Amino acid sequence: MKIPFILEIQPGAMLIIGLLLMLLMFWIFWPKRGLLALLSKLKINNQRVHLEDALKFLFDCEYKNTICNVNSIAGNLNINMEQASRLVERLISMGLITMNDEAIRLTDTGRSNSLRVIRVHRVWEKYLADETSMAPADWHNEADRLEHFVTVEDTEKLAAQMGHPVYDPHGDPIPTIDGELPSPKGKPLNQMKAGESGVIIHIEDEPKYIYEQLVVQGLYPGMQVYVIHVIENKITFAANGEEYTFTPLFAAHLTVELLSDKAPEKQKHDLLSSLSMGEEAEIAGISPHCRGQQRRRLMDLGIVPGSLIAAEIKSASGDPVGYRVMGTTIGIRKQQAEQIFIHRKKENHYESNE
Amino acid sequence: MSPMNNCETCPVHNKANLIKLGLNMEQVDFVVAMAGNPNTGKSTVFNNLTGLRQHTGNWPGKTVSRAEGGYVYNEKRYKVVDLPGTYSLLSTSTDEEVARNFILFGQPDVTVIVVDATRLERNLNLTLQILEITDRAVLCLNLMDEAQRNNIEIDERTLSKELGIPVIPSAARRKQGMNELLNAIEEVATGKFVCRPHRIKSRSSKINHAIAEIAAKLEAQFPGLPNTNWVALRLLEGDNSIIEAVRSGELGHINASESGKINTGVLTIDA
Amino acid sequence: MDPLNTDLKKEQILSAANTIRWDLGMDFHDTVIESIYEDASRIARKSVKQKGDKGAYSMDLKIDRIVTSKWLGFPLMFVMLAVVFWLTIAGANYPSAMLSAFLIDYLHPVLNHAAASIQMPWWLAGVLIDGAYLSMAWVISVMLPPMAIFFPLFTLLEDLGYLPRVAFNMDSLFRKAGAHGKQALSMSMGFGCNAAGVIAARVIDSPRERLIAIITNNFSLCNGRWPTQILIATIFIGSVVPAQIAGLASAGAVVFVAVLGIVFSLVVSWGLSKSVLRGEASAFSLELPPYRPPRILQTIYTSMIDRTIFVLWRAIVFAIPAGIVIWLVANIHIGDLSIAQHFIDWSNPFALVFGLNGVILLAYIIAIPANEIVIPTILMLTVLNSGLSGMGAGSGVMFELDSTADTASILHAGGWTLLTGVNLMLFSLLHNPCSTTIYTIYKETNSVKWTVISTFLPILLGLAVCFFTTQIWFMIMG
Ligand SMILES: Nc1nc2c(ncn2[C@@H]2O[C@H](COP(=O)(O)OP(=O)(O)O)[C@@H](O)[C@H]2O)c(=O)[nH]1
Ligand SMILES: [Mg+2]
Repeated sequence: MKIPFILEIQPGAMLIIGLLLMLLMFWIFWPKRGLLALLSKLKINNQRVHLEDALKFLFDCEYKNTICNVNSIAGNLNINMEQASRLVERLISMGLITMNDEAIRLTDTGRSNSLRVIRVHRVWEKYLADETSMAPADWHNEADRLEHFVTVEDTEKLAAQMGHPVYDPHGDPIPTIDGELPSPKGKPLNQMKAGESGVIIHIEDEPKYIYEQLVVQGLYPGMQVYVIHVIENKITFAANGEEYTFTPLFAAHLTVELLSDKAPEKQKHDLLSSLSMGEEAEIAGISPHCRGQQRRRLMDLGIVPGSLIAAEIKSASGDPVGYRVMGTTIGIRKQQAEQIFIHRKKENHYESNE
Repeated sequence: MSPMNNCETCPVHNKANLIKLGLNMEQVDFVVAMAGNPNTGKSTVFNNLTGLRQHTGNWPGKTVSRAEGGYVYNEKRYKVVDLPGTYSLLSTSTDEEVARNFILFGQPDVTVIVVDATRLERNLNLTLQILEITDRAVLCLNLMDEAQRNNIEIDERTLSKELGIPVIPSAARRKQGMNELLNAIEEVATGKFVCRPHRIKSRSSKINHAIAEIAAKLEAQFPGLPNTNWVALRLLEGDNSIIEAVRSGELGHINASESGKINTGVLTIDA
Repeated sequence: MDPLNTDLKKEQILSAANTIRWDLGMDFHDTVIESIYEDASRIARKSVKQKGDKGAYSMDLKIDRIVTSKWLGFPLMFVMLAVVFWLTIAGANYPSAMLSAFLIDYLHPVLNHAAASIQMPWWLAGVLIDGAYLSMAWVISVMLPPMAIFFPLFTLLEDLGYLPRVAFNMDSLFRKAGAHGKQALSMSMGFGCNAAGVIAARVIDSPRERLIAIITNNFSLCNGRWPTQILIATIFIGSVVPAQIAGLASAGAVVFVAVLGIVFSLVVSWGLSKSVLRGEASAFSLELPPYRPPRILQTIYTSMIDRTIFVLWRAIVFAIPAGIVIWLVANIHIGDLSIAQHFIDWSNPFALVFGLNGVILLAYIIAIPANEIVIPTILMLTVLNSGLSGMGAGSGVMFELDSTADTASILHAGGWTLLTGVNLMLFSLLHNPCSTTIYTIYKETNSVKWTVISTFLPILLGLAVCFFTTQIWFMIMG
């Protein structure tokens, strides 16, 4: 019988061919950076992206009451002046904006279009934050990518599934389908006076590098802040028992709603992970970083403010730890226990029956 | 002394009153839903009542598909639906939606809430949520044998008064308390026992105002809706199935005086 | 009221609710739950009294301290699982032999005679008796006894409350692989049967980790594959070492393959959680229920109905058509050769690159319904293909031999070497799940995408592993 060609190849050469084939497969299928992923990115229509981004930006200006021109559009979209003026011309010819002495304003159609894009963006951000395990720093970028090609129907289906959310994970209200949006609340942190306290309701997510730093510092919407003192270029405030000192530029990225009736919480919480075996404490809350299904699960199991929790057994490998709460022992991983706040009791007399 | 084994002489202790029907459930008089946290013995109670053998096991989350069965008690035919075990009815998980939609739209004549007597507090979380939806419920205080071994004493009278529904201690595994349960189900189903279910008291005034505002609007649109406040709360939480029910007007068919055996067409209860 | 007006009013209610929601703020859902808990806690305080110590609970705690202790936790677990597996393998031998003696050695010839006496056409008898009946008989006799032992034992452990402790102890290992501790259980269940293992993944309530557990379950060497491993190891590994340690070496090889499966399932879990499944939602929760004495009779009953019969039924449903196909490919001729021989000749060169052969490839394709019938199919095809006379029971009739030596001589005559044996063992671990499992994966995930991935990922891996083993072998052996 004739020996087939394939069997005549030297084993060494064969090995190399095999390795190359494997590399090729990896290169094609690798998520995000592989060939297939790149191809799917190419499909996105660049013109639509620019149009929608410009509308979003213009709405943002309007909402914040600032004036916007071709220059700032170019800056925000990261395109050159020529492209920007062409874009503006197009928008004018589509009847979406008007230009008046440099100042650009949205028409009514333009506004409702931009609200639609914003709704899509924020609903997806909410989805990414709650229903996937994507890192916080990626929510915004991924939503920025998605908003240009998901359909309105998909978005509405998603919103319905999530219980029609009204806030995105940065604390911004999500416009309704009809384009309603509440008027802005709160004021930037840099305008607060010493002695005032409030709740962070919004963290501006652009530019990205400032946003990331704020997140790394552990600040999140829903956190209580208390301004300790303000000296010309520094604002010092306390949040969750930590002291922060920011420049006004940084502080302006945080929007705070003032609290008048509630006394600010000044005590720093301990973390559940710091509980030693046999020790008992009262739960103070769950960190907002713990979201979506994970948060629901913990609350279902009785991790709610006020209930008592005791560390009881360590697993054979040390992590997770079994905690007893509301009569049940539940295993909690260290990483989750670090997202649960507790108040230690003054004296620890844990009655175990040993 | 536990009340569940002193009933040799009382009238309900009459096995002849109970005929287990298994899967044969034509022309039922009453629909009974079994709800509760996972691993509290729902399937065990269900099996005791219907004579079926649903998988039971000491591991939360193993009853996945919904089971139905039937029995006859005092010449009335009952259909029992074993709902998936959930911790809550307020989130958006499929299991919870199945249970919630059945209790709301399926309008069972009685909802039996099976709770674990050794973890009453956590189980009451779900109980209170169910009581906000339905007016007709029985609390089956199961695993009483374990509670006893742990020296936990439960004052059923206080509990029943607080919750406004009958409370029946049981140990389903030993088939204790089942006759009392059957009897309580009958009393609630026929209206002999009128429930006055507990309403949540510790909500902030801001939330109560919001609820009242929406509830008033609902009342005007859907007169006779038995659980307006709860529906209002669900709207404030953005619950899609309730929003759809408002839109389609289906909410209007839920009526306090009428039981809903006719209404099963609208359900998607297969998990 | 006219309908238009009503619709308007309904929309007004909804939009009023929406407006209020903005005022209620972001933590509204949390506050709603907290207030319910507050009421619950007040009612509980009024009606529950703890008298004296917590009896049974402190007993539970004592047991837990032992089964989760640093030193005893893992050894206890291994002993427990080892006992279950030993009982399964040792206990299944005898009933398996009886079933096979009855269904295959006794009933099969009887059926053939009956067919002949009513003058059934030979092809119809072939399709029905040699094809459909025989493959069904094979699946029942090999599959039923181990499952009927394994599942009740496992269910007893489950009922007792021990399994959640295993998950608790194993979690840190699985966490590093991006998976859930409960995967330890679906994996162990997979050693019994992958379809049951896939179903067992239901206890994992986090979507991502559950998918991981489902996709990697096939790396647990299931009951249907143990006999193949043992047979091939005895023939090929046992024969290259001195006779005194032959038994030990072949047993070691089988255990090595099983452990390799565990390693693969952890590595693949890690890879999946870092790539395709990275974005899927993940939530960890693990409740440690109280220990409860299991109810033995009830448990045996339900585990037989829910698991054993259920899985067996699915397997039979798939095995019958496969038996028919097996018989047909061996008996339909195109030119001089049967379809099977055509395929074997055509695929042989490619198969050899992977250190396998055309017979093995064909056997794995047509025996997809159940791993149990792979060896009988291979033997039948080898005899058919190499034209051995006086062996086997005719074309298309699967068979097995009582003597390992006879089996070995057939395989050697079919051109098998030590390398073929090693590769078959690897390929038997790393190939597509059986059709019952594939169907179960589809049922459980409800997604074609994940079903396709779970089916093809192991084949690709298996082919890659066999390929590199073979080529490196050739390089070293010159
Ligand atoms: N000791 C005791 N165990 C029970 C009782 N009722 C149920 N069980 C056990 O609790 C476990 C869970 O029961 P199951 O009916 O599956 O609970 P489900 O998840 O609510 O359907 C099983 O192991 C049962 O045998 C009871 O009254 N006493
Ligand atoms: Mg159940």
